[in-house]
Amino acid sequence: MELIQNLLANQLFFSVIMMAVGLGVIAGVSAPFAILFERKLSGWIQDRIGPNRVGPWGVLQPVADGVKFLMKEDITPAHVDKPVFIMAPFISMIVALIGFAVIPWAGEIHFPWMDEGATVRTQVANLNVGVLYMLSVASLGVYGVVLGAWASNNKYAFYGGIRATAQMISYEVPLGLGVLVVILIGGTLELDKIVYAQAQSGVWNIFLHPVAFVLVLTAAFAETNRTPFDLAEAEQELVGGYHTEYSAMKFAAFFLAEYSHMATNSALVIVLFLGGWAPLPFLSFWSPEHTWWNVGWLAALIKFGCFFGKIAAFLVFYIVIRWTVPRFRFDQLMRLAWKGMVPLAIGALVLQVLMTALGFIIRPERGFAGNLPTVLFALAGNAVLIGLAMFVTARSTREVTGRQDNLPAVGNRNANAKLSGIIQ
Amino acid sequence: MIRDEDIMMVAPPTLTTSDKLYLPQVIAGMRTTLRHMFSVAKRAETTVQYPEQKRKLRVENYRGVHRLNKDPDGRVACVACFMCSTACPAHCIHIEAGESPWPDREKYPVKFDIDELRCIYCGMCEEACPCDAIELTPHYDLVGKSRQEMVFDKEKLLRIFDETKDVKPRKNPPVTDYGLTGGQDKAVARPTAERKV
Amino acid sequence: MPKITVDGKQIECRDGVPVLQAVLEAGWDVPHYCYHPGLSVVASCRLCLMEMKMPHPQTKEMDWAPKLFPSCQTPVKDGMEVRFASEGVASSQSHVMEYYLVNHPLDCPVCDKAGECYLQDYSEKFGHASSRMVEDKHKNPKKDIGSKTLLYSDRCVVCSRCVRFGDEVAGAGELRVINRGHRAEIDVFPGVPLENELQGNVVDLCPVGALLSKDFLFQQRVWNLRSTPSVDPTTSAGATIWIDHNDDRIFRVRPRFNEKVNEWWISDETRFGWKYVADSKRLNQPLQRDNGAMKPLRWEAAPELLRRLLDEAASADQGVGVACVLSPMLSCEEAWLLSTFVRSRAPQATLVTGYVPVSGPDKTFPKGFKISAEKAPNRRGVESIIKAMGGPNATFEQFVKSAGDGKFKLAYVTGGYPQVWLTADQARAIGKVQTLITHDLFESALDEYATIRLPGASWAEREGSFMNADGLIQPFERALKPLDGVKSDGQFFHELVGRPGLYRGAKTREAMAEKIPAFGDIFVPRPEPEHAH
Repeated sequence: MELIQNLLANQLFFSVIMMAVGLGVIAGVSAPFAILFERKLSGWIQDRIGPNRVGPWGVLQPVADGVKFLMKEDITPAHVDKPVFIMAPFISMIVALIGFAVIPWAGEIHFPWMDEGATVRTQVANLNVGVLYMLSVASLGVYGVVLGAWASNNKYAFYGGIRATAQMISYEVPLGLGVLVVILIGGTLELDKIVYAQAQSGVWNIFLHPVAFVLVLTAAFAETNRTPFDLAEAEQELVGGYHTEYSAMKFAAFFLAEYSHMATNSALVIVLFLGGWAPLPFLSFWSPEHTWWNVGWLAALIKFGCFFGKIAAFLVFYIVIRWTVPRFRFDQLMRLAWKGMVPLAIGALVLQVLMTALGFIIRPERGFAGNLPTVLFALAGNAVLIGLAMFVTARSTREVTGRQDNLPAVGNRNANAKLSGIIQ
Repeated sequence: MIRDEDIMMVAPPTLTTSDKLYLPQVIAGMRTTLRHMFSVAKRAETTVQYPEQKRKLRVENYRGVHRLNKDPDGRVACVACFMCSTACPAHCIHIEAGESPWPDREKYPVKFDIDELRCIYCGMCEEACPCDAIELTPHYDLVGKSRQEMVFDKEKLLRIFDETKDVKPRKNPPVTDYGLTGGQDKAVARPTAERKV
Repeated sequence: MPKITVDGKQIECRDGVPVLQAVLEAGWDVPHYCYHPGLSVVASCRLCLMEMKMPHPQTKEMDWAPKLFPSCQTPVKDGMEVRFASEGVASSQSHVMEYYLVNHPLDCPVCDKAGECYLQDYSEKFGHASSRMVEDKHKNPKKDIGSKTLLYSDRCVVCSRCVRFGDEVAGAGELRVINRGHRAEIDVFPGVPLENELQGNVVDLCPVGALLSKDFLFQQRVWNLRSTPSVDPTTSAGATIWIDHNDDRIFRVRPRFNEKVNEWWISDETRFGWKYVADSKRLNQPLQRDNGAMKPLRWEAAPELLRRLLDEAASADQGVGVACVLSPMLSCEEAWLLSTFVRSRAPQATLVTGYVPVSGPDKTFPKGFKISAEKAPNRRGVESIIKAMGGPNATFEQFVKSAGDGKFKLAYVTGGYPQVWLTADQARAIGKVQTLITHDLFESALDEYATIRLPGASWAEREGSFMNADGLIQPFERALKPLDGVKSDGQFFHELVGRPGLYRGAKTREAMAEKIPAFGDIFVPRPEPEHAH
């Protein structure tokens, strides 16, 4: 008992536990069940019932799927670059999972048997550059896709990989800028501190920068290759996209990586904008003086629960979006990133810089009410940003289809006549 | 050549500001999605638990597996005109014609194979048939253990007619083909019969 | 060159042709059944009627005459003005069409002509959508009028083309129109079936489905057929033909208009002479003799093997002991490629004109159509190539003799004949050659002596050109994929010579014309007017 208590008080040991929990829960349990959940929700959205044959309510479906993936013939086509081909899905998987290392699940925990003031972090590693780590790991995610696509030696897979690369490069920019806004608010790169600041003041960053939040969220969708940004696996055009040549467990690895990626990215957005483990906004849940939220199992479980609840809500959001927004065309995708999101993100960044320069700085110890002027200023600034965006879009007369300039416009009488001339 | 009157003018949709901002429309779309997600009643109504429950089909025009009709004398009604195989977009009908052994018609199919795996069940063959010899039945749960088994030959297609004629009786074809199909009432086929001009 | 005005447009026409022919050549679609440029004009179908400007009897002014004139019987005259696009003409056409369909059984679904039938085409374009006929139709049973042809009298429009063809071109005159009025029908005399050597043409001539070939009966709907222009491989006359095929199977052969050779006709020999293409006895596996027994040889290995054998045989003496028999069944291009290959390794090799089958004397029909006695398409082409290549050459008889004397160490013998072409004695003589390479369609007496036996492709599976007995070089295209296991001769020789890419007749002809200019001058018959038939 003593030993266990001592071990639990040890940060290193706790990190190992967190790692096991993280990997086990996220990769082993959550992802398969997220897949079941996705299938169920997809069914409901389409007025269907979804999987209901394997086990009660279909809960054993992930098990059946897993068995199926394991038992299927694992085909490695003759024309592939074998080492890379085999490595790619696992690169994808690993990269999606190592992002969890810096997620502060439940902040710090103090157990009664520990020394006064001592805590353990519910985090595998508390990097002081956690945000940078997350950014770099997230952009590594594309490597699995691109390597798999290239190694497949299949043109459709290759197209998929190329699309994924271009998309990743484009959406890194607004993502980075949006994250930069948050970094400027708290002045720290440490994810733990960002969460604690939000929990203490009750001012979640979303209340300061809704625009940046939307941008980061959108970019997160793009990073995970989910609809409406799943051009890399656009099955209507590219057969299966980057995983065209993959089968059995290697395909499953890509599949699981996608879901793990969703979870990682959700966690990142939650940490940055939605107060991490903090149960409710507007209220202070922590301060250096009142650390009762750090004490004991119950507190830890509530914090874990809040975080997981938020992640679950995000996953539902991902799924609902999938059945709501149709896939972009590639030029629309690029235009959205470079002409829409990047300028807005720069606007949000400028706003935050202005706030810092003018002294509208969040002071966590003052609580929500104390920071109200800052919040109002920030919201006003965001309103101005949205207004500007509306103004610019209202002025633009470009057709929504975004046809290339060298093609005749839709509905142009002469152009049609010319086209019909070609058809003759 | 494309004629002027065949060209349809499509004006590009004019967008409101909320359309251009995109996000409001996403939220509006999500409302629809969520409405479906939470409408339990609709879900129960639209979904059928297939092997246990079966949907009621419209027998007259359901497009399931094919059959080759027989005339009242029990002979195959087909005259091997190849219209179905010509109309077939999937090229799944293979006919070999021969001289018919019966005095009242010229041609009959010596072989008549339909590759049910290739077929897309569009019903064009039924549409094209001048003597209503090929028809699609409400039969849809066909299975086989090999590809070869799924190529239905003339005998099998005629057997399907025997099996399905109670569910979907053969229509008497109202065509004036002078008894060439043999299977019809001569009074209908006779040129003296009442007809629309 | 008289100029006439048709529907307000001025056209130039050839001298002495009927107006119908002139307007058809100018691109008009004028319906006609009885008119055929190769036959006498009877003006009986009354479909090609036109309006013409004539001097008014009283005023003497040129005006449209109230009467309609058959355009097939009116010769063109400079300055004449006619029209087809008028209400009178159109209504005449539609009424005539209605008459034609009065007794027609409308059994298009089972009629082999459907799809290329001018009753269908003209009813759609010039006729009525419905019939007002309420009486019983006059029904005629089908008649067996010859060993190769069936007559469906109730589909007949009594245009009498077949009758005139029999009288004028074939000179046999077996067919006649019997009875009068709506009971008129085509028939043969009792005991005299339609059996002349050109009788197959009446099936092509028939604008409707009345005369049908028993050979093609119920075989395939015509819209499934693809037509490939080709040249008759059975005789040296070089008649141009269409090969109608589908799914790599020939279904029929039709004449292709050729003003210099066969005009609109082909003989039955040509028409039914393709059957050997689908013969199940055809060779389909290259074989190599290995310790006395024939073992399969891969096509890929064959060129290297042949080069080695040829080099061995020709190493000592510039190839004096090498012979290459160029069959007259080969196309000019193939013969040239093969002789080029042999001469490149063995400069003193003997080039031999292959065996030329001959049967009986040439036959000439009343209007000049000829069936030539020489039953190989390209004797003259092979001979001119051998002549142009120079060096030692021989006839087939000389070759057999000197082979029997043991003069040759290696011989490449091409065959490709549909019939047996070697006697056992000849084979034994040729068998004295140490290394014998045969390239043939069927098994032959040479097989037991052959070192390598290559399967050949039939003419329908090859492309190239034949030079006919009059020296016309006529190209033909490939209609079918070669049989499984067979490589087209041209492609194989192409690989032997070591030329890159795929064998193409036209490309090879170009290269050949650089060496032998005479082969640059090919003859392609002018196409018939689109709406003529």
